[in-house]
Amino acid sequence: MTDRDILMRKIATYDFAIVELNLYLDTHPKDLDAHRKLEDYESKSLELREFYEEKYGPIVFRNSPDNRMKWIKNPWPWDLCEGD
Amino acid sequence: MWVYEKKLQYPINIKNPNAALAKIIISQYGGPDGELGASLRYLSQRYTMPYPELKAILTDIGTEELAHLEMVGTIVYQLTKNLTPEQIKEAGMDAYFVDHTAGIYPSSAAGTPYTAASMQSKGDVLTDLHENLAAEQKARTTYDNILRFCDDPDVIDPIRFLRAREVVHYQRFGEGLRIATDNLDSKNFYAFNASFDKCCKNNKN
Repeated sequence: MTDRDILMRKIATYDFAIVELNLYLDTHPKDLDAHRKLEDYESKSLELREFYEEKYGPIVFRNSPDNRMKWIKNPWPWDLCEGD
Repeated sequence: MWVYEKKLQYPINIKNPNAALAKIIISQYGGPDGELGASLRYLSQRYTMPYPELKAILTDIGTEELAHLEMVGTIVYQLTKNLTPEQIKEAGMDAYFVDHTAGIYPSSAAGTPYTAASMQSKGDVLTDLHENLAAEQKARTTYDNILRFCDDPDVIDPIRFLRAREVVHYQRFGEGLRIATDNLDSKNFYAFNASFDKCCKNNKN
C-alpha cells in the first residue's frame, strides 16, 4: 500500500465516523456528547484532508489552474492502486 | 445540490478479477434492492415528508446511498478489469458482455435493466417509512446472499461494510417512524395522511 493509500484510509476512517454521527444526530439532535464527537472528528479529518490535498490534489474541487490539472489527474476513486 | 468528493466512502482494491462475482454483485448497482433504487427512493420521498427530522434523515441517507452506488460500481469495475472474452464466457458473463462490454450498467443479476417499478414513493409518511425499513432489510439479505458466493477477502471486506450500513439505516428509519408517530394521534395513527392532509400537521412543524 502506498503512503497515499494509507493517508486516504485514515481520512476515510474519520469521514465514516462523521457520516455515522451525522445520521445519528438527525434523529437525536439534542445529544451534546455526539455533537462534541462529531466536531472532534471533523477537525481531525480537515487536518488530514488539507495535508492530502496539498500533496496529491483536491478531494473537493476549488478552481485554480494548478488544481484543475490535479483534479483531472489519475487515480480516480475506482482506479486500482497500481495507478494504471 | 451536491458536491462531489474524489474519494470512496470505504477503500476498495481488488487484485484478482472474477467475472462470476461481478455478474451477481451488479444487482446491488441496478437490481430491485440495489443502491440506485435506494438513493432514488429516499431522495424522491423526502419532498412530501411532514416533519423536518424526516426531511433530514431521507436527504442524508439518500446521499450516502450514492456513495454506496459508487462503491458497488467500483467493485464490479475492478472485478471485470483485464479479462479476456474467453474468461468472460467461462464465467457466464457473456450475455452481459454482448450488450455492455465491461461497461457498468444498472441491471439486476438476472439481467433486468434498472426499473423504478421496484421502489415506491407513496406520499404517505407511515407507508414510505415502512417501505424504507423493508428496503434496508431486502438490501441486507442481498448482501448476505452475495457473501455466500465470495471467497476473496478484497471483495468480502467492502461488501460487509455495505451490509452493515443497511442495518444502521434500518435503525435510523425506525427512529424516524417513532418521530412520525409521536407527532400523530396515538389513538389512531391512520386518521390522516400527515404527508397530505393539512389538518393533522401539528405545531412541531
